Amino acid sequence: MNASSYAVRIGAQGRQLVSVDNFSVAANAITFLFGESGIGKSIIAKALYGLLNPAEFDIAINNQPYRDHLNDPWTRAVRHNSFFVFQEPSSHLNPLMKIKDQLREGSLVSTEHEQLILEQLWEKAPAETIRSITNLFPKPYRPSGGEKQRILLAMAFKKISAYTGKDAATGPALFVFDEPTGSLDNTYRNLFLTMLFNRFHEKKFTALIITHDYSIISEVYGSHRDLSPHVLYHELSRTGDATVAVNDFSPQSYLGWLSSITGAKQDATGGKPLLTIKPDFTIFNKKMRVCGDPVAKTPAPLIIGKGETVYLKAQSGVGKTTLAKIVMGLYKAQNFSMDFMDRIIDHTSPQEVWQQEIWGKKAGLVFQHADEALNLQATVQETFAGLPLRTPLTMQGLKQRLEELFEGEITDAFLSKKVAFLSGGQKQRLNLLRTLILDTSLIILDEPLNGLDFASIKKVLALLEKKRRQGASFLMISHNEEIFDAFVEKTKVYYLTAL
Amino acid sequence: MRTTEKLFAQLRTHKDTRWLTVWVAGLLCIVLWDLAFLNRPAFMKIIQGFWNTMAIAFLVTLCTLLFAWVATNLLHTLTMRTMRVPYLTLSFALNLLRSVPQIVGVLLFYVLVASLVQKGSLSSSAAIAPFMAVGMGLFIFLELTDLMRERIDHFRRLDFYNAMRVCGVQEKRIVNFDILWKNSRVHILNKLIAVFGMAVFLQCSVDFIISVGLSNNVNAVNLPSTLGSLLAKIDSKQDILALGYTLTHPSYAAHLPFTHLLGLTVAFLIVFTLLCMHHIANGFAERHRL
Repeated sequence: MNASSYAVRIGAQGRQLVSVDNFSVAANAITFLFGESGIGKSIIAKALYGLLNPAEFDIAINNQPYRDHLNDPWTRAVRHNSFFVFQEPSSHLNPLMKIKDQLREGSLVSTEHEQLILEQLWEKAPAETIRSITNLFPKPYRPSGGEKQRILLAMAFKKISAYTGKDAATGPALFVFDEPTGSLDNTYRNLFLTMLFNRFHEKKFTALIITHDYSIISEVYGSHRDLSPHVLYHELSRTGDATVAVNDFSPQSYLGWLSSITGAKQDATGGKPLLTIKPDFTIFNKKMRVCGDPVAKTPAPLIIGKGETVYLKAQSGVGKTTLAKIVMGLYKAQNFSMDFMDRIIDHTSPQEVWQQEIWGKKAGLVFQHADEALNLQATVQETFAGLPLRTPLTMQGLKQRLEELFEGEITDAFLSKKVAFLSGGQKQRLNLLRTLILDTSLIILDEPLNGLDFASIKKVLALLEKKRRQGASFLMISHNEEIFDAFVEKTKVYYLTAL
Repeated sequence: MRTTEKLFAQLRTHKDTRWLTVWVAGLLCIVLWDLAFLNRPAFMKIIQGFWNTMAIAFLVTLCTLLFAWVATNLLHTLTMRTMRVPYLTLSFALNLLRSVPQIVGVLLFYVLVASLVQKGSLSSSAAIAPFMAVGMGLFIFLELTDLMRERIDHFRRLDFYNAMRVCGVQEKRIVNFDILWKNSRVHILNKLIAVFGMAVFLQCSVDFIISVGLSNNVNAVNLPSTLGSLLAKIDSKQDILALGYTLTHPSYAAHLPFTHLLGLTVAFLIVFTLLCMHHIANGFAERHRL
């Protein structure tokens, strides 16, 4: 496989954002690029594809000015032949244009197989259903995030068909998929992979798939192993403050680790339940039920014992986060009742109960989006100030705790760094640590592995396991089913459904 | 060399720094000109008036900040503890204060100052000036309170607020440190620059108005000399009239900067300071994208 290596430096307003010396995408192969959120995967891919504005950024590619790269025949051909699926589907679509028109806009107009691609992406849904979606003007709430993502994938597949359909491909192509499955459940994710690999089977092309979803490896290994020689796994990792390097990622390391945590499951310490939640409740006029079986939907009280990890599953948007917020007293639900550490708390309990007895003392909650949950203007050290800890946190103690999740020695400069200047993955680790540092009996974690690289995922799960052995209990909410199915006992998995 | 380059680059790109420099440079030019052409006693009066005006405006800014911070915390605490009656009472009192036009409010406060001066409770300028600042701050601070409450409301809607609460961080720390200090101090500072300008304007206007006297025993002479009271003096008024005279007799303009310096300097200092404050506040807002 031919692969050109690129040295990419990107800065803005006199500050270096990211610098990499060995970024490469192999020709006629599918490359998966992993790495923690905010490390620079997307911006490097955009720079290479020629999507960044030279007036906004200071960019050099292979030590040449960015304008030279933009005018290079390779870049021009790539932009003409290929497609870039952006991470956030909403920002990719034009809200003032019907989706069906956007599917035929520009160079997409001449391509064929549109209906077939849409049918495949919608799992052979009736033509009427697909038509009702393509006739829409994109709005924030309709089509759904998953549907918008599939529209973008349809555009990419149209371009792939156009490129591979030619008798002799004219010039290079690079199909970039930036978090293409972020809004898809596992079924649609697997469907996308199958479509991509089927087309790749017919004719080879170059694709770069940027993702945080390491469980994609299991799917590729399980369902498309025959193409293994043409599939590469890379991981972008930090080597300095703004310097990163691309390393080969061994899929075996992930698969091996996954089976090791499956084998390492521990029995709960047992005893009296710490938290028991009544299965039925109503919130925002929606009846919700916790059950042990997703098909039969038989109500089952959610019980968490001391030193237990419980995993709560539900489809996206059903209300997992809402339940976490109800437990923490941030939302009021009708008919809700829970027994938490021998105290009955229900929908009539005033918020003072949580404020005085629970928050930070008996329970803590890690919010889903670190970017929104942290004070971005505070420093790393200030993030831990004001926590109700039994023993005050010294500078040395804080450094030691940070070292549990952050690589290398924690310096004073890092402690004084503004949270806003950390990468997404670093913010997520800080977000987790702020709650894990508390001396609470229960910790609710909402998407704890969001934006983390593999090394951090391992560290986080090891830390959770350590805390669990010390007696802490966890309620997990995560779409990362493969990892948590392995990490949590089967009997400790609950399902949340809307009735 | 690099520092000079940096400074010039900053002047080019930062409108607020540029106008601050213009203000300071303008004041220096005026001082030099007046030193050369204005008589010594009049010059000292201007220096004293300018100093008092700036000092009182600065005190007004401090009082505004203090009152607004206290009011914001009180209102927030009463809201969070769902103490409806005290909240409504305080809101009503603050809205009553808001309903009084600032200039009328300050004038009424000056009546109080006049009575205290008459009784002898306030005698020196050093005692009267802070008292005047408190009065003006009382009728301005609600503007800053509104801003602070808007900032708190904005952040309360974000996960950041609840994420800190469920970690057990105290409400007062989240509001005062994380929201107001860490996330809103630039907004507050911008408002305070505007408050400073507002204080200069109010003070000059009111001092000019009361130059006719507040009572038989108390008049502007008993209060600290400010640019407003200097402008109301007969010498300054004649100088301003001379300015009008040049409209019909243009050839007289050449005499203005030499023979009518007191009034012109005072008028110029007021207008020039207000103009610069306006541009500094705007430039600051632009620079920090507020």
